Amino acid sequence: MISRVLPVPRRLDLVVLGCAMGLASVGVLFIASTTGGGRLQGLATRQAIWIAVGLLGAVAAVVFDYRRLLKVSFALYVASLLPLLYLLVFGHRIANVRSWIRFGGFQFQPAELAKITTALLVAYLFENEDDARLRLSTFVKLGVIVGVPFVLVFAQPDLGLALTFLPLLIVGFFFGRLPAKGWIGIAIAVAVLAGAAWLFLKDYQKHRIETFLNPDSDVLKSGYQVRQSKIAVGSGGFSGKGFRAGTQSQLRFLPVQHTDFILAVIGEEWGFLGIILVLGLFAALVLRCLTLARVARDRGGVFLILALAGMLFFSVTINASMMIGLLPTTGIPLPLVSYGGSSAATTFLAIGLILGVDYRRFANA
Amino acid sequence: MLKIREDRRALVRRIEAARIIVGAVFAILASSYWYVQILRGEHYYVLSENNRIRSVRIAAPRGYVLDRHGSILVDNQPGYTLYLYRREAKDLETSVDFASAVLKLPREQVRARVERGLRDPEFLPITVGENLAVEDVAAIQAHVPEHPEFVIAVSQRRLYTLGTAAAHALGYLSEVSPEQIRNGGSEYRLGDWLGQKGIESSYEKLLAGVDGQRRVVVDSHGREITEEERVEARPGQNVFLTLDLDLQRIAENYFQDKVGSAVALDPKTGEILVLVSSPSYDPNWFTRRVSASEWSGLLTDSHTPLQNRAIQNAFSPGSVFKIFLAYGALAQGLVDPEQRVFCPGQATFYGRTFHCHRKEGHGWVDLRNAIKMSCDVYFYNLGRKLGIDHISEISRSFGFGGATGIDLPFEKSGLIPSEEWAREKRHARWYPSETISVAIGQGPVLVTPLQVARALSGLVSGGRLPTPHLFLASQDPKTGAPLRYQVETREGMALESSKSAIVLNGMWAVLNEPGGTAYASRVPGLDAGGKTGTAQVIGREAVIRAGAERKKLEDHAWFAGFATVEDPQLVVVVFVENGGHGGSAAAPLAQQLFAHFFGKTSTQPPGERTASGPAAGSPSRVPVALRLPPSASRLPASGGIR
Repeated sequence: MISRVLPVPRRLDLVVLGCAMGLASVGVLFIASTTGGGRLQGLATRQAIWIAVGLLGAVAAVVFDYRRLLKVSFALYVASLLPLLYLLVFGHRIANVRSWIRFGGFQFQPAELAKITTALLVAYLFENEDDARLRLSTFVKLGVIVGVPFVLVFAQPDLGLALTFLPLLIVGFFFGRLPAKGWIGIAIAVAVLAGAAWLFLKDYQKHRIETFLNPDSDVLKSGYQVRQSKIAVGSGGFSGKGFRAGTQSQLRFLPVQHTDFILAVIGEEWGFLGIILVLGLFAALVLRCLTLARVARDRGGVFLILALAGMLFFSVTINASMMIGLLPTTGIPLPLVSYGGSSAATTFLAIGLILGVDYRRFANA
Repeated sequence: MLKIREDRRALVRRIEAARIIVGAVFAILASSYWYVQILRGEHYYVLSENNRIRSVRIAAPRGYVLDRHGSILVDNQPGYTLYLYRREAKDLETSVDFASAVLKLPREQVRARVERGLRDPEFLPITVGENLAVEDVAAIQAHVPEHPEFVIAVSQRRLYTLGTAAAHALGYLSEVSPEQIRNGGSEYRLGDWLGQKGIESSYEKLLAGVDGQRRVVVDSHGREITEEERVEARPGQNVFLTLDLDLQRIAENYFQDKVGSAVALDPKTGEILVLVSSPSYDPNWFTRRVSASEWSGLLTDSHTPLQNRAIQNAFSPGSVFKIFLAYGALAQGLVDPEQRVFCPGQATFYGRTFHCHRKEGHGWVDLRNAIKMSCDVYFYNLGRKLGIDHISEISRSFGFGGATGIDLPFEKSGLIPSEEWAREKRHARWYPSETISVAIGQGPVLVTPLQVARALSGLVSGGRLPTPHLFLASQDPKTGAPLRYQVETREGMALESSKSAIVLNGMWAVLNEPGGTAYASRVPGLDAGGKTGTAQVIGREAVIRAGAERKKLEDHAWFAGFATVEDPQLVVVVFVENGGHGGSAAAPLAQQLFAHFFGKTSTQPPGERTASGPAAGSPSRVPVALRLPPSASRLPASGGIR
C-alpha cells in the first residue's frame, strides 16, 4: 500500500502505441502498393491523413478522463445512433449500402464511431456490477445496448459491420461471468435464430455462405474471391514475391484488395514472414491490452479495455480467416491496415481510450 | 483517500483465460497460414503462374454514315490490332525489337508507342500496331510461345468510301491527343480513335457507341483458358445525313480543277444536300495514321485542303450582296421599286468616281433590272441612301456576321461593318465612301458561302432563316427511338410577298432573260432564279500590271441561286476562288444541280443511282437495319445532339 502513495510517473504504454503505429504503417505501404499508378492513386495519402486525424483523437482520449466519458456514455451512445437512423432514412447509397455520410471530399461511416460509444456504455454498465455471476437484468441491458446498433447497421444493410458489434456481447458474457446454463441457452437460441434468419438474409449473403460451405460450387463468382485470395496468399510462400511484385495482386484479381483483402496482398508480396509480422503485432497488441485491463484502476476501465480490444481481436480473426477460406467472406476489413478512413480514425481513437485508462491507473478520483 | 479495491479475483481469472484463448487463436491462424503458404505454397505458386487474367477490350463498331437515300458514305472494315501486355513481357526492349521486326516499323516508332502506353495502368494493353497485314498476323502468331505478351485482336477500321468527296462534311478519325484525354475525362485512352472535325466529331457520342470488355484467364503461354466476365459492346448508331450523294458527286466533279466551295440546301428546313470544299483530302489517310510527309503536305499546301471553305473562309460577297440590300430596303420602305436611276457607266460620290462593271452604262434602270443586269450605279445610289448602319442592320437580319449554327465545328462568323465596328475594332472612323463600296458587296464585308445560302433561303421564304444542318436521322442508343433533326428557323426581316416578288423576279431574269448576267446557265423549262457576284481581289489596273501572276489575282466568282421561283425547294451557292466572273465560273454548277434535282437532265450516265437502290460504286446494298427511321419523334429542341 505504501508504494501506491508514492508519486508514480504517469506513462503511455509504448507496446500498444508501437504495435498500432507499426500496423498502420504496413497498411499505408500496401495501400500504396495496390493502388499506385491507377485511378485509385492517392488513397495511401488519404489513409495517412485519416491516421493523423485518429492520432489527434487518441491524444484527446488520453488527456480527457475516461471516467467522465463513462458518466456521460449513455448520452454519447444515443447521440451516435442518431446518424445511423438518419442514414437509414435519407442515406446516400454507396455500393448499394447506406452507411456513409459525406462531408467535403471525405466520407465517414458513423457506425464506426457508434462502436466506440457502445463499448463505453457497456463498460459503464459493468462499472456498477460486482464480481458475482451475471444478473438477468444486466444480461437484458447488455442485449439491448448491443442489439440496437447491430440492427441499425444490419439494416443498412452491412452485415460485416454489424457483426463487429457482437464481440461486445461476448466480452460482456465472458467477463461478466455468464453461468454455464446461460451459454447453453444462448447456443440453442442462436441455432434457432440462424434457421429463421436464413429467410431474411439477402441473396448475395446466402450465396457467400453457400460458397463458403462448398467453395467449388461457384468458382467464378463468390468463390472466385476466396480462391484468388488463397492463390495469392499461398503463392507468396515463405518470403513472398517481393513488394509490388505480386502477380495476383498487381493484376487486379481481387476487387477490394486495398480494403478487405489487403492481408492477401501482404501474404503474396511479403510471404509467411509478412503474415507473421502482422499477426504478431496484433497478438502483441491484444495480449498487452489484456495485461493493461488486469491492472486498470477500476471496473469501468477494465471493461472499457476489454470491450475495445475484444472488437479489435474479433475483426482481425475474422478477416485473417477469410483470406484463406477458414470463414466466409463477410466484408470485415483488417483494422488499422485496410484502407478505410473512418475505421482507421476510430481504431486510433479506441487505442487512445485504452492508453487513457492505463495512463490513469494510479490516479485518484 | 484511496478507494478500497473491489474484489476482482474472478475477473482476473477470466482475463488470464482470455489470454490463453487469444494466444490459441493466433497460433491457429499462424499455423493455417503456415499450411497454405509453406506446405501448399508450391501448389498455389503454380496456380498463380498459370492463372493470369487479362482484360481485353471489345471495340464497339462505329456507326455508319449514310446519305439521305441510304447510300453508305462511311463504312467499317475489319483490321487486326496488335496489343502488348507488359506484365507478360520479360524484357520490354526484346518485345520492342520483335514488334519492330515483324511490323517492319522503325524501332524508335514502336518504342515511342510502348512508352506512351506505360503511363496507363499496368493491366491495360498497349496498342503497338493497327491494321496489320495478314502475313504479319501469321508471323506474330507463330511466335506466341516466345512472346506471350503480344495479343492480336480484330478491330474495325474506318473506311471513307467516297475518298476525297464530302471529306469536309464527314471529317475523319484520328488518335485522341493527350490534351483531349485531359479535357474529356477518363472516357478515352491513348490509342483510341476520336472523330475530328466534320460529322465524325459533331456526332462522336452517337457514332462511337460504348466499348465492351472481356476478362479472360490465360495460361503462362498467353493462351486463353476461360472467360471470366463479358460486357458486350454497344454498337454506335448509324447516322443519316441530309447529303444527296448524286448531287454531291456532280459538285465534286465540277470542282475537280477549281478551288472553292459549294453548298446546296433546302430553304425550308436547312437540310444540306451538297457541301463541297475544294481542294479536298482523303480522310482514309488519317485512319492509316497519317505519315509525316502526308501531314506536312496537307499543312503546307497553299490551298489549305483541311480547311472547310464553305464555313471557314469568308470573302466579300460581291454583287450577290445586292439582292439582300434590295430586299431590306423594300422591307423598310426605303426604296421605290418603280423609280429609275440613270446609269452612265460611272458615278461620283464624296468626290470619288465609282465605276459600273459595264463601262458604257445601263441607261435607265429600275430595281428589277438593276438586279437582272447587276447595275452597280443603281446600288451605289441605294447604298448612299441606306447608310452603313441600315446596311449593317439588313445584313444581320439575314444572319451575316454570325455563325449559321451548322452542326460542324470551327465555323467562322465573317464580318459585317458598322460605324461602331470601325471605331472599336479598326480604330479609324467609317468613311461614307466605304459605304458605296459595301453597297455592291466589296470592301470590309466578309461572308461564308454557307451564310449566303442561309440568307438566300430566308430571302426566298419570307425572311425565315433555317439553321443549316447535315444530321437527318438516327436512333436513340438507349431506347432505339428514332431521332430526327428538329428544324430550327430564325425570324428575319419580314416582307410581304408582293414586294419580295420584285426581287425574286429580278433574280429570275438573271437566268431567264437575255441580258441577265447568268443567262447562259439557264435550265430550259425550269423557273430558277439567281444572282451572280464577282469579288475583286485587287483593282482592275493592278491585274493588268501583274502579268505572270495573273491567275492568282483574278476575281472570285460567286453564284447564289434557287428554284423554283414559285416553290423554292433548292438553294445553291457556288464560290470559285480566282474563277473570274460569277456568271461564267460559278453559275454552271448551279445549272447542273438544278437540272439534276428537278429531273431536267437527260445526261444521267448509265449505272447511276436509280430511285430504288444505292448508287453504283457504293459498297453494298443498304441493309434493312439501315433504313431511315420514320419521322415519328424528333430530336430534342435546339437541333443538334452534340
